[in-house]
Amino acid sequence: MKNIHGESFEVRLEEDGVTVFFKGALRLSGVEDYAPILEMLKEALTDPAAPVVLDLRELDFLNSSGITMFSRFVIEARDRVGVNLQFLASESVPWQARSLKNLQRLMPSLHICLS
Amino acid sequence: MTAQIFGFSEHRSHARCEYLTLAFSPLSAPLRSRWRNNGLSADFLGDYVTTFLPANGSEAADVNRQAEIRHAVTYIANELLENAMKYHEHNVNIPIRIHLELTSDHIVVSASNGVGGGQALCYKTFVERIQDKDAGELLVKQLEESSGSDPSSTISCLGLLTMMNDYGAELGWMFEVNPDFTEFMTVTTSAVLPLRNLPGVPA
Repeated sequence: MKNIHGESFEVRLEEDGVTVFFKGALRLSGVEDYAPILEMLKEALTDPAAPVVLDLRELDFLNSSGITMFSRFVIEARDRVGVNLQFLASESVPWQARSLKNLQRLMPSLHICLS
Repeated sequence: MTAQIFGFSEHRSHARCEYLTLAFSPLSAPLRSRWRNNGLSADFLGDYVTTFLPANGSEAADVNRQAEIRHAVTYIANELLENAMKYHEHNVNIPIRIHLELTSDHIVVSASNGVGGGQALCYKTFVERIQDKDAGELLVKQLEESSGSDPSSTISCLGLLTMMNDYGAELGWMFEVNPDFTEFMTVTTSAVLPLRNLPGVPA
């Protein structure tokens, strides 16, 4: 299990190697600060046979630099053949219903499970 | 020189309203140590504005409405503050301000900072480029470009586009010569959030 955390957030690559869990508020200041998280996400793409799941249900806040980080990841996943990508989202976290649909426009096969 | 205004013309509402302004001196702390303050200030503005929202009906609807408005104000204030901190001219003592106004039908969040002439020109060019364009199309184009070789150049534009596309905010900009440091300009970016467009808020 790998873990990146800060004062207000935690990001964890689970033991299965294809599930990434997010918690808290991500307000890092730009591309460089988000680079370690993006690298962790790319690690989850190494097994093309397994569905990759990003669990965002406890990620209460994401700034636009974070949206950029997710869009770079989604484009990376789209450009690899056969990646099955799923986002777990929550209706009770306002940014998720508002902004995740934009990522789906980048990768129409992205499955967003809003519960 | 008079101010140059882009977007909506009523930059500051003169109607009776509640308002709050926070100001920061750029010389008192370096940017990195100030970054945490952006989130604290934005969270405060989001919490503050919900205090003034009247009850609307059922308790569940009120809770949902307050959560949506709190989040929208927090997101917009955070993005405006991040941009103001990033692009502020750091060696001159022009304060960075964040301003919140609440009327019966809309909320305005504005941020202002000082910039040199070159930075002001870049920003004006961007503003002119996005005016009268489809924010959704621009946003997806910007997200595609963010995977390119220089993603850092697109980030602040993305924040403004998400305010327009994801939150239904109407943006306006004012560029004016700073009265105390006439070689610099004060740039104010404002986001108007019509309360009727928010999920959970009745039309």
